[in-house]
Amino acid sequence: MIHRYHLDDYYMVLDTCSGGVHVVDEIAYELIGLYESKTKEEIVAELSQRFHEDPAEVAECYDQVAQLKEKGQLFAPDTFENMAGELKARTSGVVKALCLHVAHTCNLNCSYCFASQGKYHGERAVMPFEVGKQALDFLVAHSGSRRNLEVDFFGGEPLMNFQVVKDLVAYARSIEKEKGKNFRFTLTTNGMLIDDDVIDFANRECSNVVLSLDGRKEIHDRFRVDYAGKGSWEQIVPKFQKLVAARGGKNYYMRGTFTHANPDFLKDIQVMLDLGFTELSMEPVVCAEDDPSALTAEDLPIVMQQYEDLARLMLKRWKEGRPFTFYHYMIDLTGGPCIYKRISGCGSGTEYMAVTPWGDLYPCHQFVGEEKFKLGDVWHGVENTGVRQDFADCNVYAREECRDCWAKLYCSGGCAANAYHATGSVRGVYKYGCELFRKRMECAIMLQAAMQMEGKGE
Amino acid sequence: MKHIQTLDTRNLCESAKNGGCGECQTSCQSACKTSCGIANQQCENKESK
Repeated sequence: MIHRYHLDDYYMVLDTCSGGVHVVDEIAYELIGLYESKTKEEIVAELSQRFHEDPAEVAECYDQVAQLKEKGQLFAPDTFENMAGELKARTSGVVKALCLHVAHTCNLNCSYCFASQGKYHGERAVMPFEVGKQALDFLVAHSGSRRNLEVDFFGGEPLMNFQVVKDLVAYARSIEKEKGKNFRFTLTTNGMLIDDDVIDFANRECSNVVLSLDGRKEIHDRFRVDYAGKGSWEQIVPKFQKLVAARGGKNYYMRGTFTHANPDFLKDIQVMLDLGFTELSMEPVVCAEDDPSALTAEDLPIVMQQYEDLARLMLKRWKEGRPFTFYHYMIDLTGGPCIYKRISGCGSGTEYMAVTPWGDLYPCHQFVGEEKFKLGDVWHGVENTGVRQDFADCNVYAREECRDCWAKLYCSGGCAANAYHATGSVRGVYKYGCELFRKRMECAIMLQAAMQMEGKGE
Repeated sequence: MKHIQTLDTRNLCESAKNGGCGECQTSCQSACKTSCGIANQQCENKESK
């Protein structure tokens, strides 16, 4: 399976199953499009006439395509289906990442919050240390031979339970050597409670910090308000700047959400850049279709344009020696995931789970509060093996719609929560999200190609 | 004349031979939290590349 597209001066051909990426000229672009449906003679005759090109030159181009096919870099067959699920079967029962909901409460009252202001449609609660400790013990006990264990402190607002966060990290550090594990902690925060103590902790202990900022003040303050309705932008931006300055190059993301209010989110990215932030993520809002903040069909072309313009801006700034990172355009063509990872899906419900403040396990943070998806708890482990199996069976070949999609080995079948909310089934497909994802991949790969062609690619 | 420039990429078919160690980051864990994508993750198995 191949995918052809062009963006600005770049004519791109992606070979889905080999992972091959080819930058081609217009003749090769058209030729590859015809390659499987016409003979060499027909193609040479057609293209030499269309491009006013010497037939010998077109024939040479044809031979180059044939060579790539021979080498398995073009039109590579999909031989992976039988492997789908193999990785999950091999690692059945192994858990390597937990999202700890240390606080189902929040000091902001953002109407677009997928977690309904941190409460996940339930009661306000904070996680006691004993529950968190049991969650870490559960993780270690079920992690098999995995050395790297990931724990995200999430909420609500996790800093509303900061002492427990600190105590849990201290506990994890006290056992990781003897258990042969390496904990990687991340913290996702709205910034309201950041102070010197938090900065010191985050920079010492957290391999990544995710900071919620939507960009322009008026956009941010439209949703991200306190319980008195006051916007939080003025309060958090200086705190984020201080934290990032002290971070000394360690990973962080400024993570924004764009909604129907700002499909032109590149303006928000520009504000983040102007504030001095360079590690950026901007996510489409997750909410019900009838929510006023939901992205609409009319927003789609605007968003698509933003993604293209974002790639152009990144290339321009990279050439100027002022690069910045966009999470969804990070793509390592030579060091990315292996095929097992690419066909086995995101890991939710199997190797990744979310833990509520009272110790219940859910397939991921986005399923918390959906009672029928409750897997078990941190004391008894997974008891609802049916739900776990549903998630284990989620892979790129489990979704009929993904079969013929060129991007399937870049997205791995998509987000089960998005699918569930859009279709009622974790094996469904959230088509709007797919369109955005494919556009992001086109832009990301074009950007990589442009940087490699300039000779300075990473 | 060269009509096609092929970028250096990890050959996915080859990665079937020694991939699958499972040490890589869980998708969406540390940044996006609301949409899945695995292409932007790093392989942690230095021997398989």
